[in-house]
Amino acid sequence: MISRLRALWNTFFRRDQLDQDLDEELSVYAELVAAEKTRSGLSPDCARRDTHREMGGVEQVRQNVRDIRAGVWLERLNQDLRYGVRTLSRDPGFTVTAVLTLALGIGACSAIFSMVNAVLIRSLPYGDPERLVYLFTPNSRDNLPPEDFGPAYGDLYDIKRESRSFQSMTAFDQSMFNLSEQGEAQRVSAARVDGDFFQTFQASPVMGREITWEDNQPGHERVAVISHALWQSLFGSASDILHRSLVLDGKSYQIVGVMPIAFEYPHNFDLPEGVPQYKTTQVWLPLALTPSQMAERDNFGGNAVARLKPGISIAQAQSELSTIMVRLNKLLDPHMQGREALLVNLLDSTVGHVRSLLWLLLGVVGLVLLIACGNAANLLLARSAGRMRELGVRAALGAGRRRIVRQLLTEALLLGITAGGAGIAFAFLFLRFLPLLDPGNIPRLSEASLDMRVLLFTLALSLLTSLLTGVLPALNVSRANLVDFLAAAGNRGVAGAHGRTQGALIVIQTALVLVLLSSAGLLIRSYINVESVDTGFSESTLTTSVQLDPRYSQPQKRAEFYRDFYSRLSAIPGVTAVGGINALPLSNSETMRPFQVEGYANQKNQLVQGRWITPGYFSAMSISLLAGRAFSQDDTAHTDRLVIVNRSFANKYFANRNPIGGHVTFEDHHVQSTTVIGVVGDVRHTSLEESPAPQIYMPVSEAADGYIVVRASRAPKIVAAEIRSALHAIDPNLAAADIQTMGQLESAASARRRFQTSLLTVFAAVALLLALIGLYGLMAHSVGRRTREVGIRMALGAKRSDVMLLMMKKAALLLALGLTCGLVVSWFAVRAMQAFLFGVGGHDPATIISVCALLAVCGLVAALIPARRAASIDPIQALRME
Amino acid sequence: MAGTPFDLVQGTLDVLILKALALQELHGMGISRRISQMTRGAFDVKAGSLFPALHRMEQAGWLTSNWGQAETNRRAKFYSLTKKGTKQLHAETERWARISLAMAAALGTHQEAL
Repeated sequence: MISRLRALWNTFFRRDQLDQDLDEELSVYAELVAAEKTRSGLSPDCARRDTHREMGGVEQVRQNVRDIRAGVWLERLNQDLRYGVRTLSRDPGFTVTAVLTLALGIGACSAIFSMVNAVLIRSLPYGDPERLVYLFTPNSRDNLPPEDFGPAYGDLYDIKRESRSFQSMTAFDQSMFNLSEQGEAQRVSAARVDGDFFQTFQASPVMGREITWEDNQPGHERVAVISHALWQSLFGSASDILHRSLVLDGKSYQIVGVMPIAFEYPHNFDLPEGVPQYKTTQVWLPLALTPSQMAERDNFGGNAVARLKPGISIAQAQSELSTIMVRLNKLLDPHMQGREALLVNLLDSTVGHVRSLLWLLLGVVGLVLLIACGNAANLLLARSAGRMRELGVRAALGAGRRRIVRQLLTEALLLGITAGGAGIAFAFLFLRFLPLLDPGNIPRLSEASLDMRVLLFTLALSLLTSLLTGVLPALNVSRANLVDFLAAAGNRGVAGAHGRTQGALIVIQTALVLVLLSSAGLLIRSYINVESVDTGFSESTLTTSVQLDPRYSQPQKRAEFYRDFYSRLSAIPGVTAVGGINALPLSNSETMRPFQVEGYANQKNQLVQGRWITPGYFSAMSISLLAGRAFSQDDTAHTDRLVIVNRSFANKYFANRNPIGGHVTFEDHHVQSTTVIGVVGDVRHTSLEESPAPQIYMPVSEAADGYIVVRASRAPKIVAAEIRSALHAIDPNLAAADIQTMGQLESAASARRRFQTSLLTVFAAVALLLALIGLYGLMAHSVGRRTREVGIRMALGAKRSDVMLLMMKKAALLLALGLTCGLVVSWFAVRAMQAFLFGVGGHDPATIISVCALLAVCGLVAALIPARRAASIDPIQALRME
Repeated sequence: MAGTPFDLVQGTLDVLILKALALQELHGMGISRRISQMTRGAFDVKAGSLFPALHRMEQAGWLTSNWGQAETNRRAKFYSLTKKGTKQLHAETERWARISLAMAAALGTHQEAL
């Protein structure tokens, strides 16, 4: 071991001494052999010649000895690297192009990977999140998503007691509070949690304590744990925070703990039926259920999260639950029986919907990187064609083929690593611009950063890239007989083989670009379709909501407040209509009512989206009245008599009948018969991309705890300020939630689509650019190589246009081949895109034709420049050059 | 048996060098001649394979070298066995004994038949 190390040391630091010793050793040997031969009777001259012949060349022996020295490969690598740097810096145009090309590809991959890392890979601030599951108790008789059914507390706590699959289980609820601080009110989202919440998430406060079961006892519930953000913003990171308190909805809560920075669960994206306003949670309070609430089975409760015991799978827990549910169902009213228990992995539920998008993007940038590799490989090929002479000389001087291949791979490695460095810079820039694109509903996207994992990924990518780009030129060189090549003293023979490889690369690149461009084209078409969807309401309508605190617990007081607020809103200059609704379109809120329509073949458990609106709602939202009349103020006295339906409802339930005067019966709490007085236009409620569902509107005088909509002729900003001051004038302790226009809600609803469309378009554009550079480079290179041929052709009478045609024909052939392959590939590749399309087929002819045309035109233009140069070759000079 | 020298069988050179150095330290030329002598001229080691082998074995710690006087009064590099080298020689000798026995048995040849 020590001798090995010493040898290594000597190889590197005493090389000159070693070489000198070796020379001496060999020359003594030669001398001794010669002396021996002289003794046996040869003449000294003859002896020396014989000796040399026998030794087979001193230089060869010396090289053989050097080759076995310890660490010689490192020394070689060092040599190769130095040689590589020298050759690369001798040709800066080539090097910069190759590095930038690869850097774009690598940078794009690193950037997208940093997003994947933040959203899908990086661990959450909860211990072992893989074992966290949501618990739902859906009833398959109701045609509603199972995520709508949080378990009733009675069921939940029974399951918790009886099951053996879970380590812990917790119930919590979300609510908004008015947080008053020095006369100013702000709205904070809070989670009301039972005593096992923090333990289930395995998250503990950085300061103070968590909320316990003690805190959940009646009379002890006025304690709060706050978020790190709130501690900083509201209390200026005060160190005596545990002695302070918080006023929520006029009640004071003792602060008992501060959570770590990352913990703001639940976020709006965490809960399957999350409400957008609850972006992050700032305050955790005791849920403080009364014994009767804890035994409640009729109403669905809040949210339930459980932690599986180690080694228990979801399926195992699920089967245990189904036996428990058999017993629990017997405790229910017959018409409510049929409850099931459903467990959903928390991570799946949070990021499941963005997983496919992120993988799609990663696939796209992977293609971009492949195209970049193709470019760099082509550049290297072109260059190695020009370097055949140099390589031939090296081979003739005794460099082994493996050595030369290694040299070429080393150069590719240098390019790859440099490009990796530049790629990191690109990725950094991308992350700087990411917030501009962030649709706001991709969990933790804002936390994307270049951490260690991303850097390692980039390094691995650089190495892979080097291999991909270096292997083709190296193979080509190793196939060519370099010494023969030197003898031929020309570059025609090998050039043919090179040209084929390069041409094949261009075809592949063109095909890949076509796939990317058509995907981008389809997404752009989809986006345009989404943007031009008729939402059915006016974009300029302002929306807000007010959360009343317990001071307004009496219905009369609430009504008084709203009456006052509505009249103040109507009095704002420029306001033309004010209305209210319990579930605003695009706000992720929903109410369903069971109903029957007279004269229709009704089904069991038929549900419809029910809306309670004030008379001003339709005009404030500019929803068109198609038939009959809207609600008047008088109608609000008969809230259980009159309804208005939307067009979808009328079409479905009153097909070929006049809906006006038709009868609809509700069956929720008690049977209630109503008459249809009007039909209004459809609105997009759940999302812009879902076609409108049947809806039914019921009149109320004021929207209690719903949304308020205001239509005004003045700028939304001014009106928003007026709305705030109107509220402040009534009660300074109340805060209005974000005042937004419907247009802003619409924009938020299409943000995800904008995000994916713009990213894919940018990457497709980068890919196109790279492929064009590749095509241009190949054409320019082949023009350079064929100068002599063109010279001869022109000397023999070819016209300039003939030469141009000759050159363009090659480009056109490559493009056509590439387009054909690309069409075939994208025909199948769009299948991966299907889920992302809206209102456009995967094989949309218009998109495909325009994308092909774009690619063909760009490609021909890129080829035209070198072709013109070929045509302008002066035959005399071209021939003289050789 | 006298005839044309064999090509060295893979792995034989090392053990021959070790054996050559078992008695005394030698320089490169000396090792070459000693091997030739030991094998009655069957193996003639050329410089092209001798020196890389010597340097490799020195790196492996089987040999050590020092500079001394050669016959012609020139400074020459003398190689000698280290402890590790001696151990290696024993191991190799044993291995070769086994191989040659096995080969002889397999081919049905005997010392006398030669």
